[in-house]
Amino acid sequence: MERSFKKEVQALTLGEGETFRGEGILAVTKALLQSGVSYVGGYQGAPVSHLLDVLVDAEDIIGDLGVHLETCTNEASAAAMLGASINYPLRGAVTWKSIVGTNVAADALSNLASPGVLGGVMIILGEDYGEGASVIQERSYAYAMKSSMWLIDPRPDLPTIVRMVEEGFELSEASHAPVMMELRIRACHVTGEFKTKANRRGAFSGKNRLAGPPRFDYGRLAHPPVIYSQERLKVEQRLPAAQQFIRARKLNEVIAGDHADVGIIVLGGLTNGVLRALARLDLADLYGASRIPLYVLNVGFPLVPEELREFCAGKRAVLVVEEGSPDYIEQAVNVELRRADIATRVLGKGTLPRAGEYTSEVLLNALASFLAEVRPAGIDVDAIAARAKSLLAPKAAAMAAVGDIPARPPNFCTGCPERPVFSAIKLMQRELGPTHISADIGCHSFATFAPFSLGNSILGYGMSLASAAAVTPNMDRRPIAVMGDGGFWHNGLITGVASNLFNKGDGVLIVMKNGYASATGQQYLPSSAANRIGAPTGMTIEQTLLSLGVKWLRTVRSYSVAKMTKTLKAAMRSAEHGLKVIIADGECQLARQRRVRAEDAEKLKRGKRVVRVRFGVDDEICTGDHSCIRLSGCPSLTVKPNPDPLRSDPVATVIESCVGCGLCGEVAHAAVLCPSFYRAEIIRNPNWWDRALHRVRARIIGVFAPRRAEARA
Amino acid sequence: MSAPQPRPITILIAALGGEGGGVLTDWIASAAAQLDFPVQSTSIPGVAQRTGATTYYIEIVPVPARELPARPVLALAPGVGDVDIVLASELMEAGRTIAGGFVTPNHTLVIASTARSYLVVEKMAMGDGRYDSARLIKAVETNAQSHLLLDMNALAKQSGAMINAVMLGLIAGCGRVPIPAAAFERAIRADGKAVDANLKGFRGGLDAATNANARPAVSGIANEARAAADADALVALERAIVMPAAARDVVLAGARRLAAYQDLAYAQLYLDRLAPIRAADARVGAGGRLVRETARHLAVRMSYEDVIRVAQAKIDPARLPRIAAAVGVSPDEPFTVTEFLKPGVEELCSLLPPRLAERILATAERHGLLARLHWGMEVNSASVSGFLRFWLLAKLRGWRPKSYRFQQEQHAIEAWLRRIAEAARLSGDLALEVADCARLIKGYGETLQRGTANYRLIETRIIRPILAGGIPLALGIDAIASARSAALADPEGEALTRCLAEIDQRGSASIAAE
Repeated sequence: MERSFKKEVQALTLGEGETFRGEGILAVTKALLQSGVSYVGGYQGAPVSHLLDVLVDAEDIIGDLGVHLETCTNEASAAAMLGASINYPLRGAVTWKSIVGTNVAADALSNLASPGVLGGVMIILGEDYGEGASVIQERSYAYAMKSSMWLIDPRPDLPTIVRMVEEGFELSEASHAPVMMELRIRACHVTGEFKTKANRRGAFSGKNRLAGPPRFDYGRLAHPPVIYSQERLKVEQRLPAAQQFIRARKLNEVIAGDHADVGIIVLGGLTNGVLRALARLDLADLYGASRIPLYVLNVGFPLVPEELREFCAGKRAVLVVEEGSPDYIEQAVNVELRRADIATRVLGKGTLPRAGEYTSEVLLNALASFLAEVRPAGIDVDAIAARAKSLLAPKAAAMAAVGDIPARPPNFCTGCPERPVFSAIKLMQRELGPTHISADIGCHSFATFAPFSLGNSILGYGMSLASAAAVTPNMDRRPIAVMGDGGFWHNGLITGVASNLFNKGDGVLIVMKNGYASATGQQYLPSSAANRIGAPTGMTIEQTLLSLGVKWLRTVRSYSVAKMTKTLKAAMRSAEHGLKVIIADGECQLARQRRVRAEDAEKLKRGKRVVRVRFGVDDEICTGDHSCIRLSGCPSLTVKPNPDPLRSDPVATVIESCVGCGLCGEVAHAAVLCPSFYRAEIIRNPNWWDRALHRVRARIIGVFAPRRAEARA
Repeated sequence: MSAPQPRPITILIAALGGEGGGVLTDWIASAAAQLDFPVQSTSIPGVAQRTGATTYYIEIVPVPARELPARPVLALAPGVGDVDIVLASELMEAGRTIAGGFVTPNHTLVIASTARSYLVVEKMAMGDGRYDSARLIKAVETNAQSHLLLDMNALAKQSGAMINAVMLGLIAGCGRVPIPAAAFERAIRADGKAVDANLKGFRGGLDAATNANARPAVSGIANEARAAADADALVALERAIVMPAAARDVVLAGARRLAAYQDLAYAQLYLDRLAPIRAADARVGAGGRLVRETARHLAVRMSYEDVIRVAQAKIDPARLPRIAAAVGVSPDEPFTVTEFLKPGVEELCSLLPPRLAERILATAERHGLLARLHWGMEVNSASVSGFLRFWLLAKLRGWRPKSYRFQQEQHAIEAWLRRIAEAARLSGDLALEVADCARLIKGYGETLQRGTANYRLIETRIIRPILAGGIPLALGIDAIASARSAALADPEGEALTRCLAEIDQRGSASIAAE
């Protein structure tokens, strides 16, 4: 794994009344153990990868608690795993990145929510929304509503998050419904502290196994005819039970304020932002006391009508603060108040933007205009508006001063084995012309950025081949689908390859075999050299494809640009109909470097011979055209001012971070670039032969060496 | 609401994925925690960890928690106009925080590196696509309440540490965070990874911040002064040079280069070719600018890149030591240097006598071999055999003037100089623009062909018409400039095609108007 959590793991063993310090997502992990879960699982993805990574590093600790850990192959298998809690009093938790993961899990979730659960079920959603997000911007809220699962959206401070996990399990059991807890990116990574409790063993677990299944109970199945009664159960029993529990346990908070004629209804996750904006307008203090009353929804769904009515009673207007669209809560509040015949005005979207993250700037503006609109008694709203204006005023001038700064998107790491594949695709297209490229989720999606700008569609994780199915028969040239080994095992194997073969499809599929789920932090995959315990997995992509019936299959070392280009051309030109699969074989360079650096350091210490490879560029031969960069984009291949006083364009240069992957040389050859690249091989701890050879060479060359005058050109 | 309250110190860190910003953030938070200061940090790593731009945000309440009436509620995201310290590991990322409105004259201290890590879009430009650093620095100076600009990479290299340790030192020494240096050092020790290196980096940053007269150490590469050759004769030749002061240094450098590239006669030819330009320069009162620019380009064009020049460069005795320094080889470490060459039919023919070359090229053309026929080779120039191959090639220097390419180049150069002279009769600015078009012609193989073709396009479609009075002067001058930058916009030449079309329209329009 990219990051080791050996240190964090210790925090998971903290006992009664100790202090946990760390990241929000790790606090959640500790809270799970304090809640006596019997099983945990999930699929990695920012911002919740750490939850699983830390559990993998903590496997012995959770083993003692009898907790089973499953690193699932996708979110659907993680969701299906929750089925264990339908019949048995087992508490279980799974995690994934939402919205995308929830989409993949949706089928199992519906079939889980319909019969309902006996043991508490908690789904930790990394709500990948706003700045730093990497997926389409949608709300997970819709899933909670349509499947009658409850959605916790806690205030982003550790004590609240931990409490919501613990009481969330009780909520799930009290109402027999699954509970989801959504944490936005910053909440997952927020640091803080909380007083810990001792970890608890589940009633039943690996340490105390169940005797056997219960008497046959058709009601536990998601199958007709019981689905009809289950639909009723959801609304007639589980919903009221949940609302009662939420109210009884005070999961939602009310912050009383002296300006009682107005109020703000805010999702827990957005509370700190709102309080800070109020504080900057002198309407709140550092400790979260506010002069405008706040109703904080730590549980976003279901709403509790009684609480809502109590909060709104006697208020002229309330502002609903919920990010994204549709405005589910605003609608529900309107309906509830109408039913109760309460005349309170409801403002929300319109005062706040319909789309986009609610940044400090957005909230400051919105609160000012809300107050200006509803004019609460005893507040000089014009002064407030003026203040908000002045706080944000300097931005315009500042933006003008720097001009529009181009974005700096993520890029392939130095020496990444996937970059050369796209160099090859670019070279192939120069000869055969452009073709449709269906991209996928994973590091390789960085090829959609400069310098490659390759990719016509992204339809989801492992979906690239499937998304080309209707392009192939409608286009002259064969489309190319790019897929990582992560996407391949996530579902590309079935939705893509199997479907293509089954339909006698055509087209080219490139599978990036780098050995890990790299973008999310190098988690292991079925085709990794070893699984998380270090045992061989016994699964390979090649065997899998052959067994499915793939006929045209080539494995190419991903750094061999020339060979890859040739293979691509062959696949594109081949007269035979059918799927052509090229496996680009090259280990994730991040993972490789971590290993190799350690090995080399060890060898050097023991005085063993080590050869270090670095690439470089001759300033005076480089003409500053930068074709090499347009075919690579490697972070360690950059430019510097031209040392030649007679030339102005910057020359290419290779900086220390170079890991000597060889791409520069491969591209220089394959694309017939300038002869300015060189590969230096430095021998550390040389043996006598290395030294002798070096000395002899130096002497002979010295004899021929020209006088500087001739040499200088 | 309780009366006077402490205000949290807000710190926004702008960095690139992989620079250790997360560790830096943890160090700061744990240092604050040692003093029982309430502290909260957040980040948005995601895939930005892969060399993309990312930020970290920290809030510290500079009062021990036990002295506070309640637990503070801290924000997870920076507020526009509400950031006390911006710490940026790279100049453009500092600029990004300014664009975001997080740097305000009333209370933001900006600590930023002057070093640039260029964006792909800056690096991949066919000419110079770098963003204007001066503008970024000025933006910092004008928008921050106070600022500390310095080359953090250089500092990190000096102390042999990662940049994040240096940044920690800068925070510790900036005087805005009431946490003693010792607390930060304890944080590093407690972390337990690469402790010594990190402490070194920390102190480096600390010192740099405390003697805050640290001015922008704008990273520039020193011009390795080109050694003069064949002393006396060259000196004599140099003495004979009569050139406007504004152009003298360039002309001198040009003459020296060509003496080394070919011989003194060639250097003399260079000077002779410049004479009429000098006259023109004086005539139009260009104050030496025309000579300077023409001399610059002429020297580069006359020392065109061919196999011989490459060989000369590869066996330059100063090269191996330069490489050793660049890749960090210690004296006792043997090393090899492998060159990547892929000469084609054209490179070969460029050395042959014109008639023979023309015949071979024609044949190759007919069989479509020009683009396909290349010999890829990897040569170890640090080995005897490899070195000798280049040595022999370099020896062909004497033959060069009889070669096909040489004659081709001389024709092209003469034609270009004629255009400059003709242009100078109309206007000095026009002549300058024409001279500057030589910038397009550079490189090897495909790059050279592309550049030459673009130059010809601009010459026939714009320059000639101007000289013939087909395009009005004022319009023509900026037409050349815009066509030139269009030619450098994309390798496919789409921008240039568009640009030329527009010029045709405008041209005909203005003619109609007259």
